[in-house]
Amino acid sequence: MTFRAEPYDVIVCGAGHAGVEACLASTRIGASTLLLTGNIDTIAQMSCNPAIGGLAKGQLVREIDALGGEMAINTDVTGIQFRLLNESRGPAVQSPRAQCDKKAYQFRLKHTLELQPRLQIFQATVTGLIYKEGKVIGCRTNLDIEFFGRSVIITTGTFLRGLMHVGQNKNEGGRLGDFSAKTLSGSLLYAGIELQRLKTGTPPRILGRSINFSSLQEQKGDAKPTLFAFYDTRDQEDLFHVEHTGERRIGWLPGTEQASCWMTYTTRESEKIVRDNLHKSAMYSGEIAGIGPRYCPSIEDKFVRFADKERHLLFLEPEGRSTNEYYINGLSTSLPIDVQVQLVHTIPGLEKAILLRPAYAVEYDFAPPTQLFPWLESRIIENLFFAGQINGTSGYEEAAGQGIVAGTNAGLKAKGDKPMIVARHEGYIGVLIDDLVTKGTTEPYRMFTSRAEYRLLFNHGSAELRLFEHADRFNLLSKSRLKRIKDKIDRIDKWEKLFEEEKGDGKNWGDLIRKEKDKAPFPHGFLTETQEVRDEVLYRVTYRGYRTRELRQIEKLKQIEKIKIPDGIDFLSIPGLRKESAQKLDRMRPSSLGQASRISGVNPADISILMVLIEAQRREMQRPGQTLPEQ
Amino acid sequence: MSLSADTIAALATPVGTSAIAVVRASGPQAAQFALAIFGEAPLPRQVRHADYRDVSGQLLDDILFTFFAAPHSYTGEDTLEISSHGNPFIAQKILKDLYTRGCRPAEAGEFTKRAFLNGHMDLSQAEAVMDLIHARSERALMAANQQLRGSLGRHVQQLIDRLLKVIAHIEAYIDFPEEDLPPQSRAALLEDIELLSSGTGRLLATSHYGELLRDGIKTVILGETNAGKSSVLNRLVGRERALVSPEPGTTRDYLEELIAAGPHCLRLIDTAGLNPNPTPLERRGLAKTFEQADKADLFLWVIDSTRPFSPLPQELATRMTAANTIAVFNKIDLAQIGQMKLPQPFVSVHASALTGAGFDALEAAILSTAEAFRVETGDEILAINARHAHALDQANHALSETQLKLMKSCDIELIASDLRYALDALGEIAGKIDNDRVLDIIFSTFCIGK
Repeated sequence: MTFRAEPYDVIVCGAGHAGVEACLASTRIGASTLLLTGNIDTIAQMSCNPAIGGLAKGQLVREIDALGGEMAINTDVTGIQFRLLNESRGPAVQSPRAQCDKKAYQFRLKHTLELQPRLQIFQATVTGLIYKEGKVIGCRTNLDIEFFGRSVIITTGTFLRGLMHVGQNKNEGGRLGDFSAKTLSGSLLYAGIELQRLKTGTPPRILGRSINFSSLQEQKGDAKPTLFAFYDTRDQEDLFHVEHTGERRIGWLPGTEQASCWMTYTTRESEKIVRDNLHKSAMYSGEIAGIGPRYCPSIEDKFVRFADKERHLLFLEPEGRSTNEYYINGLSTSLPIDVQVQLVHTIPGLEKAILLRPAYAVEYDFAPPTQLFPWLESRIIENLFFAGQINGTSGYEEAAGQGIVAGTNAGLKAKGDKPMIVARHEGYIGVLIDDLVTKGTTEPYRMFTSRAEYRLLFNHGSAELRLFEHADRFNLLSKSRLKRIKDKIDRIDKWEKLFEEEKGDGKNWGDLIRKEKDKAPFPHGFLTETQEVRDEVLYRVTYRGYRTRELRQIEKLKQIEKIKIPDGIDFLSIPGLRKESAQKLDRMRPSSLGQASRISGVNPADISILMVLIEAQRREMQRPGQTLPEQ
Repeated sequence: MSLSADTIAALATPVGTSAIAVVRASGPQAAQFALAIFGEAPLPRQVRHADYRDVSGQLLDDILFTFFAAPHSYTGEDTLEISSHGNPFIAQKILKDLYTRGCRPAEAGEFTKRAFLNGHMDLSQAEAVMDLIHARSERALMAANQQLRGSLGRHVQQLIDRLLKVIAHIEAYIDFPEEDLPPQSRAALLEDIELLSSGTGRLLATSHYGELLRDGIKTVILGETNAGKSSVLNRLVGRERALVSPEPGTTRDYLEELIAAGPHCLRLIDTAGLNPNPTPLERRGLAKTFEQADKADLFLWVIDSTRPFSPLPQELATRMTAANTIAVFNKIDLAQIGQMKLPQPFVSVHASALTGAGFDALEAAILSTAEAFRVETGDEILAINARHAHALDQANHALSETQLKLMKSCDIELIASDLRYALDALGEIAGKIDNDRVLDIIFSTFCIGK
């Protein structure tokens, strides 16, 4: 049975953080889009931590906002606690973070989707893809309904053959309470797409009224909250469009009535319980084959691998305003439920805590992302796009960042247009995708600021400026917002230039600022500029030397990035390439020399050889009549 | 797919008379040439005796040839090596004949370039071979050999490992502000960077010595007009090279000669005489002398011991020190005017370029001065090239920036940026350093993960 004879431009399979941004992005650029989800009630569900942002992730959210995404504004409107991390450090490594009301967050996004023009939402589990001549043309669902689309985006999160572990207990499912997508894996394998296993985990949730807060240290939100969305360039029409329909109000004025988190620690008794029961842990008894993230170790791992550490810090995070559920950040485990209860009771403040949901580990399929082009389309099956955890990442922000890129590109592809490629030097989204498609990953990939070579250029306040060219070229934002951003860029450039000019007494403004930031004078009119413009200008002026150095490196990078590697090149037959490098190149199939140079194990000599070869081929193409020297 | 469509040929042994001369041809047509010239299909790695007849059938020499089949040759291509008698005339005729048959003359270093492109050596090995080819002295040869085996690579790798640890510590504090990490001490950080900085500094210090080994010790012979500078040079070289005449001011430009001094190579440079009242022509020569002196490693100041000397021009006096100057009191075969006081405690030697007296002592003085240029880096001799020096210099500079900033308690992410820069610079020598290595260290050192 076919649901609609006319194919959609884009079909998105999965309505998590990647899927939501993907379908919003494709519809924004005019593509008719179908969103398929196994459960409409869990659209944009926060399966783990009820929080958005943090180091590098906060920047990602602002970049998503700069590309027209919904995550930033949704966080602002449903956030219940806002903190700027690394506030005492420089702007480049400061990141906003927010605790969200888990239900408000997902309901508001669900409602946003419901109101989105050109978007059809439908509840059905995708069971397989429909291929024709090496291309994907649609998908099958569990209700025996077929859907056809010009592009298909897979955003299945942890649902592909998801298997949850609580001690020796195993349940199939992508998240506690939801079904897993079992047959879709087979459909991908059938098409020649390689799949591997990863593992992640989540801590127990407990009842707030069973916590003894009096013995715990409180962590309040910032008095002056740092929000995620850019408001200085938004018009009324860009603001809170869900709320403005008048039909419903979800969320609240950003930053008001903030809630608190609470800090506590594990104890020696906690360690003893974990150690005594290690053999019952799914991860330690060999039940789990998938590789888990090193930055988010289970409590078993923490005690075993860092035995000399006396105690481990835990945060109790409220899950929302209309619930009494708390998330124990730092206590991820796959121990059996009875041990979990004992363990929780050894923690100060939680002596009488009542568990609402157990901690569990989940194993799932992912498709190694080296099988993708930098615009997130499969190299194996045309018109098939991947975003989110299926690409081996972890985190709502990483998923949403890919979602917006995949959604935009699937929409562009359906229209026959060239793809949008966010480059490594433009922002964390670029770093994320370049790392994934170039190097792949062996653990769930999370963004860190240290992954970015040009971190000092990636201050969160500049996201809109850095990604403007993409937003403008692909019409990802409203006309008025584009105009305002352009104007902001011009003003910043103007001031930046002026600050390096001589101010009439032989000195220039910039030098004075770099020497004595707090006492330096400003040029006339600067103080009447917006806070956003002033912050960016002062940042650029203060860090001028560093920024110049990074910009210079980017120029260098662009040079070799420009040298394209011909599509059909046979790396294995290139004389002179070391075998190891040739094999790596053959597997990764880089599209430019720049990309090739970032593949680990490929050394500068290999790059020189490639460069010589490409140059030689280019010259040969230019002089077709040339013959070899006569004998 | 082959990178080289054509076959190149060149003399593999130095030009000049020797016992044998080797002509080497490398490329896809090497085997065809052997068949055409010697009438037999060559078997790899077998030395064959044959007559060499040119295209017109004329006998040039009776020779030995060896064929190396790809990829088992120096260049990784089919290679033909022909050993003829060491008459340069014969070797040239053979080469010319090969060119007639379709070979192309090899450009300088082209065999090595092909070896590199065919994957028979990596970039630093290729550079070391280039140095080997150009090595002018035993010591340079030794340094080039050691680099080939990776002593530089090992030193740089050690620095990289240490630097990565420092960076990982800083990055952990930047990326995980909410973690319960042990407090970080600037003093400890400063100490680590101090160590690194002295490491790059030590390697960098070998750069000049490396240059001396490769290019020879630039030795400027200077002195007043008619003090006998050219005669000293000629005596050192052991043959007539500079135009020598008893008329003062014969040498107006400069002349250069390479000689071996023990394990070292000396690049002797004769200069125009110093004259307190120069003519316009002499003034031009003088400017050249100053220019040479600017780049000199060693000065031989030739003094006529039969007459008092005038003070040295300021431009020279500031460059000459006891560590780089030898005063040569020439003409001891003639009447002496007695003790002369030198402006600085230069090593002095009394000699006669005419009779050769005192030249053993002069050579000994040159040798011990040259030895003192050597920088100790353990048992090995490291002689880095200009590319390495540039990279190390960048790293070193970034490290000292970091030290300054740490003392001024500057933002930690800026310090991280400088350290990253230093790491990238070291990566220019050792190859790209993957960002993941920083994360590997962070996760194995700290318990990260709320």
